[in-house]
Amino acid sequence: MSTIAELNNISKIYGEITAIKNLTLKIPRNQIFTLIGPNGSGKTTLLKILAFLEKPTKGTVTFNGELVKEGNLDRLRLNSTMVFQKTALFDTSVAKNIAYGLKFRGFSKNEIDEKLRSVLKMVRLEGYEKRRAKKLSGGEQQRVSLARAIALGTELLLLDEPTANLDQKNMSITEAAISQIVQERNTTIVLATHNMLQMKTLSENVALLINGELVHVGKAIEILEDTKKLAGFARIENIFSGISCITTDGTAIIDVGGDVRIEAALKKEGNISVFIKPEDIILSKNQFTSSARNVLKGKIVEVYDLGSVVRLKVDVGKSFTVQITKRSFSEMGLNLNTEVFLTFKASSVQII
Amino acid sequence: MRTKFGVWGIVIIVAAIMSIASVAGTFFYLQMSTRQKLVVTTTTSLYDTGLLDEIETRFESKYPIDIYFISVGSGIAIQFAQRGDADMLLVHAPSEELKFLQDNYGVNRKIFAYNFFEIVGPTDDPAHIEGLSPIDALSQIVAAGRNSTALWVSRGDGSGTHVKEKELWAAANFNWTLIRDEVSWFKETGSGMGKTLITANGLRAYTLTDIGTFLAYSAGSTNQVPNLKTLVTEGAELLNVYSDIAVNITKNPKANFEAATTFTKFMISEEGQEIIGNYGVATYGQALFYPAVDILENNSNPTMAQMIKNYAYFDDDDTRTECPLQYRYGHPELYG
Amino acid sequence: MNLRSKFIPTIFFLFFLIVITALIVLVREFREGVAGAFLLIISGNPEVIEITLRSIYISGTATALAIVWSMPIGLIIGLKDFFGKRFFKGIFNALIGIPTVALGLVLYLMWSSTGPFGFLSLFLSPLGVALGQAILITPIMVSFTTSAVEAVEPDIKDLAKTLGASEVEAAFAILKESTAGVSLAIVGSFNRAIAELGIALMIGQNIRGQTRVLTTAIAMETAGGDITRSIALAIILLAIVLSINLIINLFQRRLK
Repeated sequence: MSTIAELNNISKIYGEITAIKNLTLKIPRNQIFTLIGPNGSGKTTLLKILAFLEKPTKGTVTFNGELVKEGNLDRLRLNSTMVFQKTALFDTSVAKNIAYGLKFRGFSKNEIDEKLRSVLKMVRLEGYEKRRAKKLSGGEQQRVSLARAIALGTELLLLDEPTANLDQKNMSITEAAISQIVQERNTTIVLATHNMLQMKTLSENVALLINGELVHVGKAIEILEDTKKLAGFARIENIFSGISCITTDGTAIIDVGGDVRIEAALKKEGNISVFIKPEDIILSKNQFTSSARNVLKGKIVEVYDLGSVVRLKVDVGKSFTVQITKRSFSEMGLNLNTEVFLTFKASSVQII
Repeated sequence: MRTKFGVWGIVIIVAAIMSIASVAGTFFYLQMSTRQKLVVTTTTSLYDTGLLDEIETRFESKYPIDIYFISVGSGIAIQFAQRGDADMLLVHAPSEELKFLQDNYGVNRKIFAYNFFEIVGPTDDPAHIEGLSPIDALSQIVAAGRNSTALWVSRGDGSGTHVKEKELWAAANFNWTLIRDEVSWFKETGSGMGKTLITANGLRAYTLTDIGTFLAYSAGSTNQVPNLKTLVTEGAELLNVYSDIAVNITKNPKANFEAATTFTKFMISEEGQEIIGNYGVATYGQALFYPAVDILENNSNPTMAQMIKNYAYFDDDDTRTECPLQYRYGHPELYG
Repeated sequence: MNLRSKFIPTIFFLFFLIVITALIVLVREFREGVAGAFLLIISGNPEVIEITLRSIYISGTATALAIVWSMPIGLIIGLKDFFGKRFFKGIFNALIGIPTVALGLVLYLMWSSTGPFGFLSLFLSPLGVALGQAILITPIMVSFTTSAVEAVEPDIKDLAKTLGASEVEAAFAILKESTAGVSLAIVGSFNRAIAELGIALMIGQNIRGQTRVLTTAIAMETAGGDITRSIALAIILLAIVLSINLIINLFQRRLK
């Protein structure tokens, strides 16, 4: 796997703020590489450096083996383009927006028209050429920005939270377009997101950034399962892996070990990773009858007082994290070792 | 270019081209022009009569000289002359003209025309000045003013007319500096003749005016001063003498002395004098100016000649002349 | 836009129309002035045409000159951060209101025959008036351009660059985004130039056939008592200003 770009021990400091600290990273070629991390972790800054919009305060960057310096910035910028988190559009038509960058690369008018049509098709905005870009809906604007970047055909494409604030439909179109680009062209995509699910869906290799430092580089699943590394940030609780079998009713029963079987409203068979949000789990002292398919009996083994809410670890054979209000906790008279029942619906079980 | 600079870049470039074209064009045109430039300052009342437009047209068709008439108050006219921005002055305030000559700013003064000021006032003439001599009229006006039956409007702007007014007050034995403070009846407008007449009309007041402006305002297509009428027209004190003075080239080498001299000669030529004498007859039924050259050189009207010499000539040893010898420069033919 | 939000502008417009009609009906000079204006324009009075063309030429040249040096300055101040930026912005803003007579006087002293730049022969020349007006309107153009540029989203510069633009090309992309503001800068400057009196009077001195422009002619006719003609000329001046505004507006729409 060859690298398209290398960041060698770079730091980026803005006045008092250190956005990136001593980061070394190799970006592999021709795949989707995800940067994950909470807001303010330095993802955007890193993307800007790869887009040659910013220079690192310390350290070096190489692109295709070439060292990036003041002198070649303008030229290299033609090889790398970035789509910003906050949509930026010129106050003109969709066609002119998309054609803007193409004019710098010496394409003929026909070539530009051709590319225009092809990228609009990719983001499902055929026929939008003459529409005023700023008058489109938020989702459509994001897609235009994406189309604009794709049209340039750069080697490196940087996407900053491409699907944040998008509804389901726009999100799928965007994700489909992103996958399509990597498959059809010689493009490397670096994608920054804080959406854990997107990370798994789109890419294999992930880098985790926290507070400007590179905490981990590896496969997506490693990061998801290592809850310690994700301490305090978008940690996904209640992740379980196991074998899934589909029942005659159309649901799946997943054996996750510890003699725990989870019924899920899913259609997948075989190896699977799932999670249940703590908020979706009901805690009770007595078993009760309900429509929920999952009822598990266990014991409270850890209590975390977080002020107005209390987080509990309940051992039902596997450890579940549940969250209830402080009031409920005291009213129910719960404590360590109290026997409790966990109830949750099959539809609350989500696939990773 | 479209790519690199966008629309506004093009605008800037077009603007640059336009500017260069303008500037270059102007300088080129100036180089190519075979006509000279003569800058003549004049008083507003003289300019507003329109006489100078006609003189300009005739003169420019005869000579390769473009006349630039600047119509300003005499204060700034003198400034222009001192700074060499003007080549010639047309004035009608002999006392100031003498000073100008004495300060060596001007040479070759030549009288070319005269007319009379008049005192105009409300049609009902509350101060009863009609037909009186100027001195008597002023005395009546002061009395009536202090009696609150009459008002006086003064230009108060240092113009030729204003200088004349001050001379009249002095001749009538009033101290102008004191009188002007009697603001209950003495109103200073600080503005040109036209505005002053309008003010006098509105206030139904008396004022001193030159014939040209008053005719323009009262006898034109509409009478703009219906409340005023001419009351006092006779009297040597009301004499208004116009002369031109060339800017002294020894003091201001950039002054266009030759063109100024050509202009003077035109003004005193038969043709010039004829234009002056005929001006206004068609429009107002009467002439606004009287030609002075014939009277002064040929003594065709001895009384008038004497009046002019008394008022507008200067002492030169034991004679009086329109331009003392030491203030003449070249062109002795001007003084025959 | 519903009826409600059109309400206030409509009221203003109606009020304006009523005032104008009242003026025309009640004030004789206004009536005659309006009639006179039409007559002058339709009859193609050569002197009026000459004065009008000269006004447009002089103020147009002034605007062109000002564009050449003001827009780049406005761009730079708007885009870059530098020591004393606030100070410069403040100075330009303050100079917008420079009294034309004061500037005219200063320029006269400089360009007078005995002044330091007298050799340029700018006094009593149309080019001198144009240059004086250009100086007058520079603060307006710089300030408006700076504001227009600053109002553009900061991302646009990065956007342009990431799409392949160099620094200079990106700067012009920003200018293009603030087209409305920049158009206003140009139009506002032209209006100020063509409608000013102090400089045209002091440097040009209203010389017939050479430096007489609409404003100086209006002043002269007013002082000379021909109010009717003044109003006629004033109407012509207004008509020009409105037309230029309209044209630039249309041009600006098409740009998008």
